[in-house]
Amino acid sequence: MSSDEHDEQLNLLQTITMEVAAAGDIGSALEIVLRRVCEKTNWALGQAWLPNKQKTLLECGPVWLCGGPELADFRATSEKNQFPPGIGLPGRVWEAKAPAWIEDVREDPNFPRFAAARALGLKAAVGIPILSGDQVIAVIEFFMREPRNENEQLVKVIAAVAAQLDLVMERKFAAAELSRTNEILHSILSDMGDAVVVADKDGSFVVFNPAAERMFGQGATQTSPAEWPQRYGLYLPDKVTPFPANQLPLTRSLRGEEVNDAEMYVRNAKVPQGLWIRITGRPLRGPSGEVLGGVIVCRDITAIKEEEFFRAGQSQVLEMIAADKPLPEVLNSLVLLMEGQAEGLRCSILTLSRDGQHVHHGAAPSLPEVYVKAVNGLSIGPRNGSCGTAMYTRKPVVVTDVMTSPLWADYRKLAEICGLSACWSTPIVSAQGDVLGSFAMYREEKRGPRPEEERLTSIATHIAGIAIERQRQQEALREREERISLAAESADLAFWSLYLDNNTVWMSEKGRAIYGFDPDAHLTCDSILSRVHPDERAKIKAEYDSACSIHGKFESEHRLLLPYGKVRWVIMRGRCIKDEAGKIIETIGVTVDISSQKQADLHLQVEREEMAHRNRVSLMGEMTASFAHELNQPLTAIANNASAARRFIERGNIDPALLQELLQALIADSRRAGDVIQGIRSLVRKDTSVHTHVNLNSVIEETVRLVSTDILSRESVVTTELDPQLPQVDAALVQIQQILLNLIMNALDASEGLKPSERRIVISTRSDKGDVAEVTVRDFGIGLPTDRPDKIFDHFFSTKQKGMGMGLTIVRSIVEAHGGTITAENAPDRGARIVVRLPAARGEFAKSKAAA
Amino acid sequence: MSESADANEVCLLDDDVSVLNSMRFLLLAEGFKVRAFSNPEEFLAHAGNNHVAVLVTDVWMDRVTGLEVLARLCAISPNTKVIVITAREDAAARATATAIGPVAFFIKPFDDERFIAAVRGALA
Repeated sequence: MSSDEHDEQLNLLQTITMEVAAAGDIGSALEIVLRRVCEKTNWALGQAWLPNKQKTLLECGPVWLCGGPELADFRATSEKNQFPPGIGLPGRVWEAKAPAWIEDVREDPNFPRFAAARALGLKAAVGIPILSGDQVIAVIEFFMREPRNENEQLVKVIAAVAAQLDLVMERKFAAAELSRTNEILHSILSDMGDAVVVADKDGSFVVFNPAAERMFGQGATQTSPAEWPQRYGLYLPDKVTPFPANQLPLTRSLRGEEVNDAEMYVRNAKVPQGLWIRITGRPLRGPSGEVLGGVIVCRDITAIKEEEFFRAGQSQVLEMIAADKPLPEVLNSLVLLMEGQAEGLRCSILTLSRDGQHVHHGAAPSLPEVYVKAVNGLSIGPRNGSCGTAMYTRKPVVVTDVMTSPLWADYRKLAEICGLSACWSTPIVSAQGDVLGSFAMYREEKRGPRPEEERLTSIATHIAGIAIERQRQQEALREREERISLAAESADLAFWSLYLDNNTVWMSEKGRAIYGFDPDAHLTCDSILSRVHPDERAKIKAEYDSACSIHGKFESEHRLLLPYGKVRWVIMRGRCIKDEAGKIIETIGVTVDISSQKQADLHLQVEREEMAHRNRVSLMGEMTASFAHELNQPLTAIANNASAARRFIERGNIDPALLQELLQALIADSRRAGDVIQGIRSLVRKDTSVHTHVNLNSVIEETVRLVSTDILSRESVVTTELDPQLPQVDAALVQIQQILLNLIMNALDASEGLKPSERRIVISTRSDKGDVAEVTVRDFGIGLPTDRPDKIFDHFFSTKQKGMGMGLTIVRSIVEAHGGTITAENAPDRGARIVVRLPAARGEFAKSKAAA
Repeated sequence: MSESADANEVCLLDDDVSVLNSMRFLLLAEGFKVRAFSNPEEFLAHAGNNHVAVLVTDVWMDRVTGLEVLARLCAISPNTKVIVITAREDAAARATATAIGPVAFFIKPFDDERFIAAVRGALA
């Protein structure tokens, strides 16, 4: 290669590089390369091949250059050809990714366009790949009319030029790509429903898409972040407090913070109805992480929010129902909630009376008073306005114009005054299918309900139904409770329930009176326990716990100690209610005040003791002979002995041994007299309750001896037949004596009309199986009433002239107090037999067994 | 006849031993000869074999009443002078005793002087 040629080629390279760099697009750059290479290096024809989209074939590109019109045929031939990798000159270059030189195409076996080339006299050819990285993005080829050997230098120059082209093409592709991406982004931002706002780090808006303009009422403005809340009408979720500028999501993203799902309320001149948005914010960062700006994406959540508020409103009304707020208050809240859901909507609720015939005002906060008053108390019927008809027919009634509807014939004037045009009413029906009332919507326009209004109606009737039904149930429950309470109070019963899970107590009024609690005091289980008498409290609590856990019920008689020291006797009965798991959740029961009964019992007890005492005193009266004798004997002896001693002394011949004997006798007789008096006193004593082990045989002998003088004076005989094996009994000695004295005196009385020889009384004892001591007093007198021998134990029954008729009654009560029995019967031949059976003292049974 | 067949002997009958003894002492102190019985049958047996000038007897006794004793004594020894002592004022007993004819009737406790005078009188 000559140096000129070399220079020429360097020159070419420089020219092409500059021109290509200046080229606007890939097409003109290709054209420049093809033209300049042809001009400067004597090629007759140049053209470009580009891979198809699938990158399977090379196609002849739109740009070519040729020396003259005669070469157009070759171009046409090329355009008809497509080369897969390895086929033809372009295919070879594509596959090898390297230049290829053909000295003469006529002699090349791999040149399909051979015929066209020969016809035009094209001989030498070169193909050069244009590479972008590893990829062949085009192949250029050149032809000349004469054969030529491969010129390496030339190939290098052309390849270098082609490499320039590669740079240009790469840059152009990137630009085209970027512009397409920009278009897509723009289109997305324009069409998307979410608002997107981008600001640079100084707070100037860079992007403010149409959705953002709609949402905020206006587009980007030249305002600082501090002005944004006021400018765009941004508020906190309370809807009134302006959103603090430094807390705005965009401001925060400009500070480099990420913001997720912040809620904001927007209201301004362009958005007077206000709307709710949810905002996500992100900082935009440069390559080294510095904040370049911020972006927020805002979504309109007004519909979601309103549904949320509506649901919250419904929950609030349901809570009111659950809290048993007064029905008018509940219905009023419900109506206001519904009215808040649509512009210009007015609603009312009417309830149906228990007789099912008349309507009552329920709630109508937005309707005039005159309307409410006029409607209250009207009858239902087939042509009774929207509501009266809806309740009557049990079907929704839609009246689009009350002025023309026959249902409103009677109420037009009223509707006119109130400015009502349309009225749609739906019956409120209970779960059981009973009509409870109606829910109505009123509008000033003449039209039927829209789907949204129908949805509101179905919700309103559902909730109103719950409220009215609940109130009716509560009323029924209250009535039932009142009836029970009335019954309980008249029966002096206190009702109560202990709720164990929250330790509260319900108690009827009567119960509170019995326990001394204020009518409205809050009660717990401990409050009840605190009223139990301190002496019994621990015992009652333990009994209660164990009875409940073992038997599931509880009964106890105990004392209460009320404030100011008042004591009450009560009987408390309770039953436990358990859950499925067997845990006690509630105890219900009654408490009965038995104080007056208890007092009567105590009084009776005192009276009984009093009577028994009187009986003993009166017995003593009957035993005067015996007592006189018993006392007179020792007194006589004392008097005699004293007199004797005096006389011996006066005579002066006293023998000391004799005197000793006299004094000894004096002492003994004094003691004897003292014992008699002691015996009388013990019989007259009031308290006779001391129990000891008593041997009945001894007591019988003692008692018979005590009354022996009376027996003698009545010319009677008492004999005893005593069982030596008789067990001892646990008894009050004096009371046992009292039993025997009464029975003996009675038997003596019964024998009075008999001849002296027949006045016999037999007292016998017998051990019945060892566990009972049996005493029988038998006489041979007139006997007992044959119809009912045991009548003699009745109060005031007496066959005698002088008796009080109390003796045997007292005997029976004493016997029974000792756990024994007493029976009276007529003996087979004649006379009466009174049998007393007393239980053997503990341990006596075994002893008597052993003895037997 | 036994050595006790003394015309001045006074017989005492009372089932209450202490009363019986006290009367014996009283009469002994006044120098009487005394024979005491607590069992009516023993006394009646004695009276059957001996002369009994005076009998002081109680009315109310366990086994037999004093009146019964008097009735039987009347049959054995109609001349015995009887003094009746009783612990209890009893109209019927008094009438019966009087019918049998005691020389004196005392209710316990009795005046010692009058009793001694009565015994002395009966012996005279």
